[in-house]
Amino acid sequence: MVRRLLYVCAATCVVGCIMGALVWRYGAAVSFRGIVTSAAANPQDGKVARGSYTSDYFGLSYRLPPGWTVAEEGPGPSSSAYYVLTTVIPEGEPNATILIAAQDMFFVGEEAGSLADQARDLQQGFANIAGMTIDREAAEMKVADRPFYRVDYSGVGLYRAMMITEIRCHVFSFNVTARDPELLNRLVQALDSDLSFATAGDAASASPPCVKDYAAGDNVLHKVSPVPVGPRFVPIPVRMIVNADGGVRHVHVIRATDEQRRSIEDALYRWKLKPYQVDGRASAVETGLVLRFKPDN
Amino acid sequence: MLGVAVWSGWAPAQAQTRGATDPGVRGGAPGAGGPLPGLSQDEVNFFNAAADVFQEDENVAAGLGPRFNLDSCSGCHFHPAAGGSSPAVNPQVKVATANGARNVVPSFIKANGPVREARFVRNPNGTPDGGVHALFVITGRADAPGCNIQQPNFAAAVAANNVIFRIPTPTFGLGLVEAVPDSGLRASLAANGAQKRSLGISGDFNVTGNDGTITRFGWKAQNKSLLIFSGEAYNVEMGVTNEAFPNEREDNPNCQFNNLPESTTRLVNTTNSASPASDFSSDIVNFTAFMRMLAPPTPASATPATAQAPAAATTQVASATNTSVLGTAAGTSSTSPAATTATTTRGQQVFSNIGCQNCHAVSLTTGKSAMTGQSNVTFHPYSDFAVHAMGNGLADGVTQGNANGSEFRSAPLWGVGQRIFFLHDGRTNDLKDAIQAHASTGSEANSVIHNFNLLSTSDQQALLNFLRSL
Repeated sequence: MVRRLLYVCAATCVVGCIMGALVWRYGAAVSFRGIVTSAAANPQDGKVARGSYTSDYFGLSYRLPPGWTVAEEGPGPSSSAYYVLTTVIPEGEPNATILIAAQDMFFVGEEAGSLADQARDLQQGFANIAGMTIDREAAEMKVADRPFYRVDYSGVGLYRAMMITEIRCHVFSFNVTARDPELLNRLVQALDSDLSFATAGDAASASPPCVKDYAAGDNVLHKVSPVPVGPRFVPIPVRMIVNADGGVRHVHVIRATDEQRRSIEDALYRWKLKPYQVDGRASAVETGLVLRFKPDN
Repeated sequence: MLGVAVWSGWAPAQAQTRGATDPGVRGGAPGAGGPLPGLSQDEVNFFNAAADVFQEDENVAAGLGPRFNLDSCSGCHFHPAAGGSSPAVNPQVKVATANGARNVVPSFIKANGPVREARFVRNPNGTPDGGVHALFVITGRADAPGCNIQQPNFAAAVAANNVIFRIPTPTFGLGLVEAVPDSGLRASLAANGAQKRSLGISGDFNVTGNDGTITRFGWKAQNKSLLIFSGEAYNVEMGVTNEAFPNEREDNPNCQFNNLPESTTRLVNTTNSASPASDFSSDIVNFTAFMRMLAPPTPASATPATAQAPAAATTQVASATNTSVLGTAAGTSSTSPAATTATTTRGQQVFSNIGCQNCHAVSLTTGKSAMTGQSNVTFHPYSDFAVHAMGNGLADGVTQGNANGSEFRSAPLWGVGQRIFFLHDGRTNDLKDAIQAHASTGSEANSVIHNFNLLSTSDQQALLNFLRSL
């Protein structure tokens, strides 16, 4: 009995050591849904499985409405770091759709402003379209205990709601479209119970703070330039996570050719940055930068 | 105009019984083919003389071949007028055996199908190809004695699923497109960002690796300018070497009959047309002049000013205070207002409400232009000239510049009312099928097509009617 207990303790220690090593080296962790995964997951890695959309990067899970399924997958990340995460539709006769998307706010061209500003801009944009009616002005609301902004609008027999919240410096959105307003409301209201976010105790919630343009200027102590390959002049957005010691833990080349991706990863993993400070203590940080290869001459 | 009245009259009834249907090619006179309004007399003379050059048939002595797809520009760019797109009867069938040639017509070329060029996706060793493999050779022609090259093995390429097709892009109004500054295009793409993000739309520009500026012509926006477009097409489609592309793609010595380049600037005027500029210019400069001064298609109804009501209206006023606002040619609110019908007005609302205009942007404005009267002109191409991911269903696997195998330029929709074949490969002549083909795995248009499918039949019909009015 004692021996068995010792075996269990030893096995637990070994597993713990392996997990610790993974966390130290790769940021691997147990996700809030109990799945061993990488804390350095990327936004596009979320998937629909067993009736739920789950994203470890964004730390959320969304249970699809009963009888709904995934529509066609969307495009890959854009050069402005916009992600079509998934689109779900009812099986059978289409009467509604839900598009889940995210925009990395490090890479939008314009100054983004607050979430409230963005909701108001959105509303203004829809109001400018001939035949479009704003049915519900942009306003803050809680969904699954998280602040969202909601705008409802309609036109040509389609009723729509856009729900946006901010996660890791991304505007994360649910875009609901339905043929009738009652169905729209049901789908939006169901989000409150069908959506869940990682809580403070979950590993997936422990994402580093996100800071725009941190990997620039004097913050970069050692820089290695990527070897220019592939198309020139094309902006390449990159997210990176920097450890508390200034070493680069994770590089996410958001959109590039394969050869550009390899070149950039090879270079950026060798960067050394000034440790980011939170309340006087060194902290990991998530940031972004845009690379653009120029002609050799 | 009668044709417009007829199709717009019966369409709703069709919709009630059989679902929305494409009203078909708009009849009546071609709403295209003339010069831009406001040009000087010298420019109009140049345009008219250049139009003749654009419509010339070439033979081997003039540079045709050794490999080619057709023997004139206007053979491909023919409908509804010179400068347009593929005609109803494919001239490639006839040219295959013209003047004694012994070409076999490939299986994908049909007498009633679109004019097509063929590109191979991969080389035999598996590396990317993407280049045009001309359909025909001059072997056997009376004007090519001794040349004995063979056509590519298209049957094998088809069997290996290694060939994709492109149809001619219409060239109406492209001088205005060329005159839009990069900043104008970038502002157009950045506009309505929140709306685009609510629909899964992003897009980006293809750029030249030489100076980083936006390229905007061709199915993947791969060509920088109308001059480059002309030079490349003259060499690749007709085999005529020129000052921009001076070398033969096929250099079999038995098939070389001319000094290169085959079309050059003329030092002596032997034509004596009304335009000395045309007479002295090489062919590709003439082609460029023709396309640069070719007016946009005239729509059947006056539509664009209300599509994005506040923004468009503001632009129109701003333009009017400058040099000119394109009137009849570009379809401003002064254009044939009597032709507007309730269904096309509704269709225009549908177009903007479901999100089509986020890629098929309604309006652009030129910058300072060397052409008389063409500065600060607002026009309505219904394209943002950006490239967008269009999904596996449309992907052709060919990368051009930074447009990858599934990305295509938003096809300008002006003149779509009189187009016969749709999509880059001309796979359909049914506008509704073309709309549905926008949705597939990986397409930015999926949400817009979902919206289209959620519409009532009458609203789907209104959209089709509106598009056929352009």
